[in-house]
Amino acid sequence: MRVNVRPIRGARLACEAVATANRERQTANREPERLMSEILRLRNISKTFPGVVALRNISFDLNEGEIHCLCGENGAGKSTLIKILSGAYQPDEGGEIFFEERPVVLTPHLAMNLGIQTIYQEHVIFETLSVMENIFAGAEIVRRGLLHKSEMKRQTLAVLKYLKSNLSPDAKMGDLSSGEQKIVEIAKGLVFKRKVIILDEPTASFSSVEIDNLLDIIETVKNSGLGIIYISHHLEEVFKIGDRVTVLRDGRKVSEREIAGLTKTALIKDMVGRDPSTFYQREKVPIGEIVFEARNVTGNGARDISFVLKRSEILGISGMAGSGRSELMNVLFGSARLDFGEILINGRVVKQSDPKQAIRNKMCFITEDRQNTGLLLPQTIAQNVTIANLVNTREFVVRSRDDARIGDRFVKQLGIKATNSQTRVVDLSGGNQQKVVLAKWFNTNGEIFIFDEPTVGIDVGSKQEIYKVMVDLLKQGKAIIMVSSDMPEVISMSDRVIVMKNGEKVAELGGDEISEENILTNSIGDKTI
Amino acid sequence: MSGEAVVEPKPAVRTSLFKRYENLTVLSIFAGFVLVIVLLQLIMGGGAKFPTFISPVNLLNILQQVGVPGIVAIGMTIVMISGGIDLSVGMLASLVSIITALGISKWQLGVVPSVLLGIAAAVGLETIMGFIISRTKVEPFIITLGGMITFQGIALLLCSSREVIMNGELDFLKANLIQGAKDPISHLNLIIPPYVLIFFVIALLGGLLLSYTKYGRRIYAIGTNPQAAYLAGIDVKNMKLSAYVIMGVLVGIGAVMLLARINTGIVTLGQGLEIDTIAMVVIGGTALKGGKGNVVGTLIGVFFLGSIGNAMNMLRLPSEVQFVAKGLVVIIAVSAGDVSNRISGFLSRRRELRWHAEQRATKGESVESTK
Repeated sequence: MRVNVRPIRGARLACEAVATANRERQTANREPERLMSEILRLRNISKTFPGVVALRNISFDLNEGEIHCLCGENGAGKSTLIKILSGAYQPDEGGEIFFEERPVVLTPHLAMNLGIQTIYQEHVIFETLSVMENIFAGAEIVRRGLLHKSEMKRQTLAVLKYLKSNLSPDAKMGDLSSGEQKIVEIAKGLVFKRKVIILDEPTASFSSVEIDNLLDIIETVKNSGLGIIYISHHLEEVFKIGDRVTVLRDGRKVSEREIAGLTKTALIKDMVGRDPSTFYQREKVPIGEIVFEARNVTGNGARDISFVLKRSEILGISGMAGSGRSELMNVLFGSARLDFGEILINGRVVKQSDPKQAIRNKMCFITEDRQNTGLLLPQTIAQNVTIANLVNTREFVVRSRDDARIGDRFVKQLGIKATNSQTRVVDLSGGNQQKVVLAKWFNTNGEIFIFDEPTVGIDVGSKQEIYKVMVDLLKQGKAIIMVSSDMPEVISMSDRVIVMKNGEKVAELGGDEISEENILTNSIGDKTI
Repeated sequence: MSGEAVVEPKPAVRTSLFKRYENLTVLSIFAGFVLVIVLLQLIMGGGAKFPTFISPVNLLNILQQVGVPGIVAIGMTIVMISGGIDLSVGMLASLVSIITALGISKWQLGVVPSVLLGIAAAVGLETIMGFIISRTKVEPFIITLGGMITFQGIALLLCSSREVIMNGELDFLKANLIQGAKDPISHLNLIIPPYVLIFFVIALLGGLLLSYTKYGRRIYAIGTNPQAAYLAGIDVKNMKLSAYVIMGVLVGIGAVMLLARINTGIVTLGQGLEIDTIAMVVIGGTALKGGKGNVVGTLIGVFFLGSIGNAMNMLRLPSEVQFVAKGLVVIIAVSAGDVSNRISGFLSRRRELRWHAEQRATKGESVESTK
């Protein structure tokens, strides 16, 4: 067993060693027992946030030259685990982390020094700098007080060549595709001789060629002896490159399996399996006639989507992050271009080239990111509640007194916890802010509601209240399209569910077909299952 | 809602004065400034004479000086609340004054057509800039900076780098509206010219527009969060454009007033106007990033900045000192505004938290009792 605990002290040291090391790696045959030596071991890792247990007693380990995949639905605890590994979060009391057999308390700084690199879904890059400058950002090689560009370039080229990539070290990062940017981030891990690379959803929004290319590179990196933690919604990728897979569900570790001999059906079985009796029990409302219809809607990443929506019905839209759900909603609401297809409201084709027209057509859009796209944070509840209805009012003059009256009515009706409607929205909690967004749309007297992630970042109590409000809307004869990544929410609230994948509608489920297993199979599995 | 039944009556709202009246901070600094000047005058004058700084004739004098920048500052308030800025107003005013003066004295168009031509030019040029700003992602700072340089060039070309002297055709704009009125203290003539009245009318209209109309609501909304405003059905692009169009009208009017005062169209006429108006607006509490501010605050800023130079004269300080004083006032007023915002924000957050804690306590009990 190789016990090498010398942390990488300075980038310079690492850089000097890396070129030779890489050459060795390419030529020398590694001894088998070295390949299997353990880099990381986690024991009894739990993480509690106020009101939420994100992880319970997780054990996890990673060997040299291994790709260990992490699977689970949105909110299963994958991100929390990554953040613990990168030192951003500290595990609760009792959790132990061993790095190469030594117990460590990970901080972001220590994780970096030990050689753990996390590559997040969102690129953390400098768009205006070159590939080389991005790789060496913050750890430039310096000779006599000046940048040693030729050396940095040599090392960059060596690593890129090793990865069989023909990127130029001088290319501007911003000009590269997101697949190429990912390669640069991986190259950085090699240049600095990292030992563990964590990839969080690396292929989201990639083309299939880019995915194949990236998977090849990851295998190359693995063969040079690094441990890789790979998180992906795409089971094809997991089966293609993974050695082992750990499945999380609701913060618990469900299983850990060798990929060899595993079937996709078995893996999906591990990922589902909540007890449906714990779900919210929604009151059923008799469903009416068709009020909204999308025909072959294409645009903004959504492709050829058709569906109908009936009065007093909740149509759930499910799918993994990046499957084009929010993009579709923006097209339906007129805030993104409709390239092709038709939208019908009450049987009539409508043209909606901006939200103003959608609001006039009695549509409402409760967006996913309420702080950035839903609210005027520094303004009062009253001002927020009345802003969308300006489209419908004829009077040019507005009175603050009327606004306050409307605001106060909604504060009372929705139980918004604020002293009165003159409270600024920025001072409210997440759940109450969401109620302000709801009030804004109720005030427009809309008929067709789009809820994009209605309960994201909201505590359990407020969640239930928002579900109740949604059922009240159904009773008033309104119709709801609900995009949600929260599986219990989709199952318990929806009358029908559309599953999206890569911008397309892959399934429509109704009645008893709405189950975790059906939704997950369609949104992450092959069609062959 | 089940939670509603147990919600206790709300506690008496104790909002800090500084939060309820957002202009109070700058108003108190202004009041402090006036007090200091008056005291200094009393001390230096041996306490015998009435402080000339607050004599009616001097106050009217200050009004005359701030009338024109005040008109432009109202426009600047609207533009800045919408999230924009306009650096070109000074040179645009110079350009308008030259066009109008040329129209009257050289092209012989007559007074009214010349004035309308000048105003139309201002509106047209602002519309072009507003169009570019609202349709592209380029910073308004840069577009209007380019506008400033361009307008200066056009103005110089039009007048061949010379001044355009008129024969007092616009004198009716500086006629005294209260002919014969005397200051009871100094027995000097009191003067209120029409453009001071126009300033007040425009300030009133601007204030009403921002506070009591749909248009105003939308201007605040696009300045606060353009994305959310767009999704709430507001035509963000055209709203931005409209702010610059209004600016054009006001700069046009202001430039004609300026021309009437000086009687000469010259390129230096509007020099520094953009600096003064932006300073007035930010002193009044309008945020550079948009969404915040009001006309009352701007009015305080206008009077405050306008009275600094005057006060320095009264104290017989060299005129160079006034730049130092003006600069310091901008820095102090804006920093104090931020500090008082932080304090009131902290207090209100603490109050909300305490209120929630009380709610939870009472709720817990009543849930027990209802079971």
